[in-house]
Amino acid sequence: MRAIDRNLGSCPVCHQLVHFPKRDPEHVAAYCPRCGSEVFPRKRSSLEYTLALTLASIVFYIPANLLPMMHVHTFAGTQSDTIMSGVIYFLETGSYLIGFVIFVASIFVPVLKMLILLYLVHSVRTGKSRFPKERQRLYLLTEIIGRWSMVDVFVVSIMIALVHFGGLSSIEAGTGAVFFLLVVIVTMLAAMAFDPRLIWDPTKEHHAH
Amino acid sequence: MEAHIVCCHECDELSTIPRPLRPGRYKCPNCGHTLFRHRPGMIEKLYAMSVAALILFLVTNYFPFLSFEVFGNSTDANFTTAVQYLYEEQDYLLAVALLMTTVVIPFAQIFLLLLLLGPLYHGRVPYYAPEMMKVLEAITPWAMLDVFLVGVLVSIVKLVKMGTIIPGTSLWAFASLILILAYAQSIYDPHPIWEKIEEGQNEGRVKRYVERDA
Ligand SMILES: [Zn+2]
Ligand SMILES: [Zn+2]
Repeated sequence: MRAIDRNLGSCPVCHQLVHFPKRDPEHVAAYCPRCGSEVFPRKRSSLEYTLALTLASIVFYIPANLLPMMHVHTFAGTQSDTIMSGVIYFLETGSYLIGFVIFVASIFVPVLKMLILLYLVHSVRTGKSRFPKERQRLYLLTEIIGRWSMVDVFVVSIMIALVHFGGLSSIEAGTGAVFFLLVVIVTMLAAMAFDPRLIWDPTKEHHAH
Repeated sequence: MEAHIVCCHECDELSTIPRPLRPGRYKCPNCGHTLFRHRPGMIEKLYAMSVAALILFLVTNYFPFLSFEVFGNSTDANFTTAVQYLYEEQDYLLAVALLMTTVVIPFAQIFLLLLLLGPLYHGRVPYYAPEMMKVLEAITPWAMLDVFLVGVLVSIVKLVKMGTIIPGTSLWAFASLILILAYAQSIYDPHPIWEKIEEGQNEGRVKRYVERDA
């Protein structure tokens, strides 16, 4: 039995069960007596927010890849590194594990996250009722992996802190790093905006009547 | 209280939990997601972990983190040196993000846990406990010390070919901090804390929220 079918909902913050005041599930809000949070049967405009934020992350992802993550200044000149050139550098110099870590965290994970979120929004919109458990797993995966994309931003910061030899050699953050940061933040917000209960609703709706 | 109804956050399924609770994980009968974990002694353990985490956090931010040496030139970096350089280069967004995810939010997390768990350990509930829990819940996804550790490892591998990396005291404290936080995360469950808060509210010792109409 779903909570929504009994006019109940759980507080998003403290998980307290609350009763909704009216029988119209579209326009009700309850206040959690334990922590004062507003409770809705489902996250409001979940699909719209998730879709908008995912599309924003795709837009940010393009300059994040094309623009340099960092500029390395040495007495010989300035060299600019993008995410991909960083991965290629590691692969060419034989650091396969690190190259793999950077590839997974900076290229594979963000793209995977965007594709999963787009697919989930689409599957809910079309009322798909098959494979709810598998789709739920995909959602939980996006929640877990999202933050790990920050690795590359952190690498740039640490390099800036350590390679700081005045005129001899120094490293500066590139605009790509800023866009990449935005990608991470926006995809995390997109995952938070999605309501996983929507995945299960079509599978349970026919039991409700 | 003999039975207790819990709602799954992932699929909205209601399930009845018989009391008393047995130690272990309670799963949603519909989707299999963890509803909550009952672990007697969680508050004591978590309190001890947050005391240790606070000490390690202060050590991490006070002592030298890493040094890098190339041809006799060397740079010393503290945990927050990058924030300072980014700020000087006017990369404000990156500086703020780095400061928030690796210093401010992790510190707030540890500090709030201590403020909550200290009194709870001694059988009291702080008046503003619900507010503290709400803040804790909201900031937790944005604490990224574990990700930062991977960033440190990648940077070391990247720089080790160009010069000598000398690990500082703070690096070891930081690595231990990550282990402690990972353990704390694995045992943390908000439900027993909320139950204590509710008991406190019923006795009028904790901030209450009047039921309002929508
Ligand atoms: Zn609540
Ligand atoms: Zn469930």
